[in-house]
Amino acid sequence: MGSIKPVQKILLYVDGSEECITAAQYAIVLAKEYKAELVAMYVVNESMLKELLKANIFIKAEEMDYEHDLMQDGERYLRYISQLAQDKGLTIETRIEKGVVNKIVVDAISELQADLIVLGELEEFLSRSDSFHDENELICRKAGCSVVIVKDPDRVESLYNMI
Amino acid sequence: MRLSEMLQEDTVVVGFKGIKKQEILEELIDLAEKTGKIHDKKEALKAVMVREQMMSTGLEHGIAVPHAKTGSVSEMVMAMGLCRDGVDFESVDGEPSRIFFLLLAPENAAAANVKLLAQIARITSRPEFRKKLVQASTPAEVINIIRAGE
Repeated sequence: MGSIKPVQKILLYVDGSEECITAAQYAIVLAKEYKAELVAMYVVNESMLKELLKANIFIKAEEMDYEHDLMQDGERYLRYISQLAQDKGLTIETRIEKGVVNKIVVDAISELQADLIVLGELEEFLSRSDSFHDENELICRKAGCSVVIVKDPDRVESLYNMI
Repeated sequence: MRLSEMLQEDTVVVGFKGIKKQEILEELIDLAEKTGKIHDKKEALKAVMVREQMMSTGLEHGIAVPHAKTGSVSEMVMAMGLCRDGVDFESVDGEPSRIFFLLLAPENAAAANVKLLAQIARITSRPEFRKKLVQASTPAEVINIIRAGE
């Protein structure tokens, strides 16, 4: 392959699921092996909060309260993922944003000039309407770079432990 | 996690014993207790009542979604009930409430909580779904209707 570097910049989308931790481990493995930069990003899903407000399920105070909770969740996940990276001798950039998830992530791919986005495994069964709203699916479709959807957590864990 | 997966037959009732809002909430908490996942039933009811006092969770079209974050559960807990004749739940449109979803969430499960509430909002926005659901005559039928509607 010579001096070709297939992956230079990886964006890891962190959605606060167990699957995204497996994705993080895999992204760390890739970043280490390819000597690529890794950026981990969490986005507070404002659209969903606004949907609940519009449906009168949330009152305004709740919307703000849950936004704060989601922000804290994001910070916690990003701290954990940073530590996972640090344990393997890597320093990663972390970002936390809020808004329309798929739009922010897709824009970040362009801004960062990421050549790979790494996502956790999609939910196996989604209702028809949830599939329509599923941010991970939307990111897959709209991403301007290659997409890796990480599966097989046991194997990924072994890989992570080996590096 | 799908809505239908959050319910089991003994946490669904078709026809409440009570006719007042407080009685309905208490029955929903009793149903939720059957999951074995509520550490403190009084605390759970208190959390739901506090939320109700901020603003009724009686929505439009006969739907009510009483919910609360509470330390009395360590994971998401759900219960459901139907009342074909309707109950005055102080709903936003002034109409009686017929379909009730109770959701209790631990303090640290914001993402899962928001997702489930969004699922409820979406599925109950469909008039044909609401019509079918309110006609259900057994808990198993309720769960099947929800599963089919997902």
